[in-house]
Amino acid sequence: MKRHRIALALVLAGMIVQPCAADQGRGLAAACASCHRTDGHDTVIPSIAGLDESRIVHLMLAYRSADQGSQIMHVVAGALSPEEIAAVAHYVAGHPSGTRQP
Amino acid sequence: MKTLTRRGLAGLAGASCLPAARAATRPAAPRVVVIGGGAGGATVARYLAMNDKPLDVTLVEPKQRYTTCFFSNLYLAGLRSFESLTRGYDALADRYGIQVVHDHAAAIDPAAKTVRLGGGASLPYDRLVVAPGIAFRDGAIAGYDDAAMQIMPHAWMAGPQTLLLRSQLEAMPDGGVFVIAAPADPFRCPPGPYERASLVAAYFRQHKPRSKIQILDAKDTFFEQELFQDGWNRHYPGMIEWLPNQFIGTIESVDVKDRSIRTADQTFKADVINLIPPQLAAGLARQAGLADETGWCPVDPATYESTLHRDIHLVGDAVSVGIMPKSAYVANSQAKACAFAIASALIGSEPVRPFLYNTCYTFLAPDDAVSDAISFRIASGKTEIAEILMSKLDQSPAERAAAVREANGWYDAFTRDIFG
Repeated sequence: MKRHRIALALVLAGMIVQPCAADQGRGLAAACASCHRTDGHDTVIPSIAGLDESRIVHLMLAYRSADQGSQIMHVVAGALSPEEIAAVAHYVAGHPSGTRQP
Repeated sequence: MKTLTRRGLAGLAGASCLPAARAATRPAAPRVVVIGGGAGGATVARYLAMNDKPLDVTLVEPKQRYTTCFFSNLYLAGLRSFESLTRGYDALADRYGIQVVHDHAAAIDPAAKTVRLGGGASLPYDRLVVAPGIAFRDGAIAGYDDAAMQIMPHAWMAGPQTLLLRSQLEAMPDGGVFVIAAPADPFRCPPGPYERASLVAAYFRQHKPRSKIQILDAKDTFFEQELFQDGWNRHYPGMIEWLPNQFIGTIESVDVKDRSIRTADQTFKADVINLIPPQLAAGLARQAGLADETGWCPVDPATYESTLHRDIHLVGDAVSVGIMPKSAYVANSQAKACAFAIASALIGSEPVRPFLYNTCYTFLAPDDAVSDAISFRIASGKTEIAEILMSKLDQSPAERAAAVREANGWYDAFTRDIFG
């Protein structure tokens, strides 16, 4: 079901998604850890470990299109393709706090 | 002196025992040696060690504890303790199985693929990562030698120099003059000299309000100039004077006894002088033939392998990659691209598209921070800027205060990403 919601979100955003390999998600998610803790502890900047997959996709697409909000996340999201956003979201959602990351 | 901080490794008798000890436990693991335990090197080591298939990772770093240059201006202003800027290597050794060798790398033999340590031992490698940071250009400023650095600190490699500059600022009388000499591009941390002026001004405003700050700049413009000058006018009117190269000329010499700096036709005297000299890649990289005529190290923009020596990679401030700024964040970003490329080459993991990015949080005042965000792309073998955004001049005080809190949170997460 969750998969369908993500696909729907991306279709609504006018994008067609070919999920990319798991290693791409792991590799790109490594970039998140430069600012976000991955152990469940927020530091003003929220920890992203184990966040819901579809929520990550929605947020990233919002950052990508928005003029408002975090300029840092706008630039990050703008540098990722829809396929890469889906891969990062899948990886991050599958690694709750306490698991070895990335 | 050499010590190993990897727990459970009994062979403390000397580095010459290490290859045998490793062979007994993990015979097939390819060997990666990483020289330099800063933002670039420690990140490479950690991301290599997190692979599913084993890699034998050794990190060579002389210091027992590392002091981050980023956020050290907050210490200079009395806003952060020195201890809060230091990180150790125990997590990398204990949790990630990295062999941390506290010694300095004396020489690299690219043909034999070995690193000779100061203590005499030789470490063989399949891939080597060199993350040595910067050095200062010898003779660029007459009279600025090791002894002069103890009188006019650079404080551009964090540690004792940072403590020295803070003690001089504390001892300076109210009404004194503090001079910062800022170098020409490229140099470590483009907003750094101007953030330093801002935060020292915050300290002066509170404790020595009649004091002045002069920035003697080797450039005619600088990074985030409008944001800085707006902040100086709002927070410290009349306190900071920025003197561009076109007005003062290039610094030629220093006079330690006189506490002065000379350009071709002007002399600047000060109570405290922070001289940030012209820079180039650290000596080890140059001695190993990894730097070109610019003094910096050319690399492949995707794998960070040297274009001058095979199987040696470089990351961080020592490398020259298009217009990427020399920041700890960029070093950490390059380090991940490098670690994934090495894992792909040595243990066959799937290649990962490099994601190269920079963010810097910069303090204009204790309650006023700005940030920049830059994404990079590789096109036709060159690294170029894909998108850049900076804080706007018309942000509210609440937004700037929120950026201060975010910056402190970032420091916590970022240093964990580097040191575990």
